[in-house]
Amino acid sequence: MTQPPRLVLSDLNKRFGDTQVLHDVNLRIAPGEIHGLAGQNGSGKSTVIKILTGVYKPDPGAKLEIDGAPMAMPARWEEIHRAGVSVVHQDLGILDQLSVAENVCVGGFPRRRFSGAIDRARRDAVCTDTLARVGATVGPRTITASLGAADRAEVAIARALRDHRAGEGLIILDEATRSLSGADLERIHDLLRRVVAEGSSVLMISHNLAELASLADRVSVLRDGRLVASGLPASEAGPEEIARYMLGGTVDVQRAAAERRRVTTSAEVAASVSGLRSERVRAIDFEVRAGEILGITGLPGSGYEDVPYLVTGAMNAREGRLSVGDRQLDLARCRPREAIAAGMVLIPERRDRDGVALEMNVRDNLSLPSLRRRSKRWFVGLRWQNELFVRFTEQLSIKTAGPMSLIRELSGGNQQKVLLAKWLSTSPQVLVAHEPTQAVDVGARSDILNTLRGVAANGVALVFVSSETKDLVDLCDRILIYDPAAGLVPTDTRSEDDLIDEIYGRSDTPEVSSDETD
Amino acid sequence: MKRISRAENEELESLVGSTSLPDTSRPGSRRARWDIRDHLNLPQVTARYALLVIWLLMAVAYAAVMPDKFLRTATAQAIFGSQSAVLFLAMASLATFVVGEFDLSFAGVMGLSATIIPVMTSLHHWNVWMACVLAMFCCFGAGLLNAFFIIVLRVPSLVVTLGTASLFLGIAEFISSSNTVAVGDPSFSKIALYNVGGLPVSFYYGVILAIVFAYVMYLTPFGRNVAFVGANRDVARLAGINVNRIRAASYVVDSVIAGFAGVILVASAGGFDPTASSTYLLPALAAVFLGTAMVIPGQFNPIGTLLGIYFLETGVLGLQLLGYSGWVQDAFYGAGLVIAVTLATVARERIKRT
Repeated sequence: MTQPPRLVLSDLNKRFGDTQVLHDVNLRIAPGEIHGLAGQNGSGKSTVIKILTGVYKPDPGAKLEIDGAPMAMPARWEEIHRAGVSVVHQDLGILDQLSVAENVCVGGFPRRRFSGAIDRARRDAVCTDTLARVGATVGPRTITASLGAADRAEVAIARALRDHRAGEGLIILDEATRSLSGADLERIHDLLRRVVAEGSSVLMISHNLAELASLADRVSVLRDGRLVASGLPASEAGPEEIARYMLGGTVDVQRAAAERRRVTTSAEVAASVSGLRSERVRAIDFEVRAGEILGITGLPGSGYEDVPYLVTGAMNAREGRLSVGDRQLDLARCRPREAIAAGMVLIPERRDRDGVALEMNVRDNLSLPSLRRRSKRWFVGLRWQNELFVRFTEQLSIKTAGPMSLIRELSGGNQQKVLLAKWLSTSPQVLVAHEPTQAVDVGARSDILNTLRGVAANGVALVFVSSETKDLVDLCDRILIYDPAAGLVPTDTRSEDDLIDEIYGRSDTPEVSSDETD
Repeated sequence: MKRISRAENEELESLVGSTSLPDTSRPGSRRARWDIRDHLNLPQVTARYALLVIWLLMAVAYAAVMPDKFLRTATAQAIFGSQSAVLFLAMASLATFVVGEFDLSFAGVMGLSATIIPVMTSLHHWNVWMACVLAMFCCFGAGLLNAFFIIVLRVPSLVVTLGTASLFLGIAEFISSSNTVAVGDPSFSKIALYNVGGLPVSFYYGVILAIVFAYVMYLTPFGRNVAFVGANRDVARLAGINVNRIRAASYVVDSVIAGFAGVILVASAGGFDPTASSTYLLPALAAVFLGTAMVIPGQFNPIGTLLGIYFLETGVLGLQLLGYSGWVQDAFYGAGLVIAVTLATVARERIKRT
C-alpha cells in the first residue's frame, strides 16, 4: 500500500503590495524523510513557513494537503497542528525559569477532570515518554536554565513531538540548530534520524549547507521566491550544489571580470582596522584605501556579519583599533557618533529596525544625520532639507509621493535608497554597507550598485559586507573571505562560481560542477 | 527601466554632486517645496481635524440645550481660564511620550512643588519666591531620580514612576503634616491670576508653552533628534544621537514643567491639598492621548494636546452646567481617554490605507 505524502503544498503565490515574494512554490514531503529547505535571506523561506503556520494568508489558489487530507487555505494553525505539523523556531521558545516538563507540555497540559488544574503526575509522565522517544536523558523537573545547548534543543523537539504518535507528523525546524556545533549538533542529527526512522517527517531550514547536505534526504532551494530546486536527492545536494542554486548558479564570468575595476594601490589608506576581536569574530585586520571597494564575505552565521557593526561603533568589540584619517578609535568603547565624526558611516542590514524610521517621512529621514551640521542651533530650516531631498531622489531615482511621504509607504528598494542617500549626504570618508542589496528588486539593485560605484570613483572608501556573491564579484576591487580559523583570507577569484566554492567549500571535496544539468 | 551601461558608468566620475543619472522612465512626483496639494488630501484633513468638528458640534449642542447658561462669556472664561495647571501637566508628560518614555509620577511632582511653596512660606516664613526656587530645585531632583532608575539601572519606567508617584505624594503629605496650607501673598497670586483680555495670565503661559514645545520639537535640530529617539531608538543611536542623554533629559524636563504646574496651581488657588494631586493625572493623560487624534494624527504633539485640554474641559463644563456634577468629571475623562485612543488608532489606519 502506498502512503500519501506527508505534506503537499502546491501553487503557492504570495505578494506583499507590489512585490511578489513567492512564485508558484510547490513542496512535497514524503513520510519518514528529512527534507531540507535552503535559500538566502529574503528568498521566501520564512514566508513559506509563515503561510504554513497561518501567520500570512497566501494568494488565492494555493492548496495544502497533509497525509492526503486537504487543509483549508489560508491555513488555520489549530487545524494544521491537529493534522500533525509542529514547528521548532530558531530561538527554540524555551522558557528558562520553567522546568523541562513545563516546557515540553506548554500549550497542552494534561488537566485534572474536575478542578481543571494541571495534573502534575500525568504531565511528568507525558514528558518522560516524549523525552524517551527522542532519547533525551534530562529529568522532567530540571529547570531548563541549567541545561546545555543540545539538551535545550532536545526539549524543544520533544515539545514538537508531544502530541504525535510515533511515525506520524511533521516537524518544521526553522533554523533551530543554529546555535549548535560539533558533538551537540551530531547528537541532534542522530535524534532527528531516529525520529524519521519511525516514520515522522522533518522539514529542516538551515543556513548551514554542510548540515543540510549531510542530514537531508532531499533538498529544495528557494531563490527570489521561486523554487529553483525541488527535492534534489542527497546525492546531488552537496554544499556547493545547494549554494549554486541559492545564489543563481550560472554566472556570466566574462561580464563579471570585465566590470572589475583596477585595484587602486596608489591611493592612501582611508581606514584600517587592527586586532578586532569580539565574541563571534576572531582577531582580524584589514585596511581599505580611498576609492577602493573592499568586499568582505564568509559562511552565513560564521560571524563576519558582525564586522560592519563592530567597526562603526554600533556594536562594541572585545578589543580592536580603528584608524580613520588621522583619528584613532578604540573599538571596545567607540560610539556610533565618534565613528560618524571620523567619517566612518554604516548602512545596516536591517533597514526597518536600524536603518530608517518607518513612521517618519522621507525628508526627515534623509536629513537626520546632517541636522547638527547643517542647521542653526535654534532653527533647522527646511531649505537645505528640501535641496537634499531633491538632489538625492533624483540621483538615486527614489520614487516617492513627495518629501512628506512616510518611509513605510515606500517599496523596499526605495527605502533602501533612502537609507543609502541618508548617509551619502554626510560626505563620508568610509562607507560600510551591510547587505545593501538585500530584498530589493532588480532595478533598485542596479541603481544601488551604480551609486556605490560612483561613490567609490569619487574617492570614498567602501567596505561592502555581503553574502551576495554576484554583487561581490560585480562590484569589489578586492574580496576578503572570513574564516573563523584563519581570519580574513584574501581571494583572487574573478568569477562568482569560484567565489561560491571558496566560501562554501573551502575544505570540502573539489568535485564540483560535474552535474549542472537541471 | 533604463539600465546604465558599463561605458556610461566609467564616465560617471562623480555621482555625489552631479545629477547625471537621469531616469526618464520614472516621472518625478518630487514636490519638495511646500505645496497646498500635500495638505489638501481629504482623508488626511478629515483625520487631522475631525475632533475640532466634534468639539464644535458639542458646543453647538450645549448651546442649543441651554442657550442662557452656556452662551456666556463666563463659560468661555471657565473653559479657557481654569486649565493652566492641567495643560502644564499634559506638556510635562508629553515630554516623556515624545521620546517613547512613560511617566506616571508627574502629578506627584506637581503635588510636591505645590506643597513645598505654601509650607515654606507660611510655616517656615520663607520669601515666596525663594520657596518657588526650592520647589523647582526639588522637582529637578525628582526628574533626576526617575531618570537614574530608568536609564542607568534600567528598571521599567512603569514600575519606577508608579513608585515615585506615591513616594512624592508621601513626602508632600509629610512636610505639610497632611494639612492644606495656604500662601497669603497677593503679589504671588498675580503671576497666575492677573487679568489679560478677560482671561488669567496663566492661560497665556500654557499657550506659549505649547507653542514653544512645538517649535522646539519641529523646528530645532534637537527636537528632530528627539523625534527620532521616539520613532526608532536604534536608528537614532546609529545616527550618532546620544539616546540615553535625551531619554534622561525627557524625565528632567517633564518634572520641571510639572513643578511649574505646581507653582501656577498654588498661585491661582492659594494653597494645595497634596492628596488631590492624583486627580490631575487622568485629565492630563487624557488630553495627551486625545491630542494624538489631532493635528498630526497618530503622533504625540503639543498643539493637539493643547486642543485636547479644552475639548475635554468643554465637555465636562457643559455636563456640569446641565446639572451633573462630581462623578461626571471622572466618567467623562475616563471615557474620553478610551475614545481618544480609539479615534487616533482609527485615524492612523485610515491614513495607512490611503
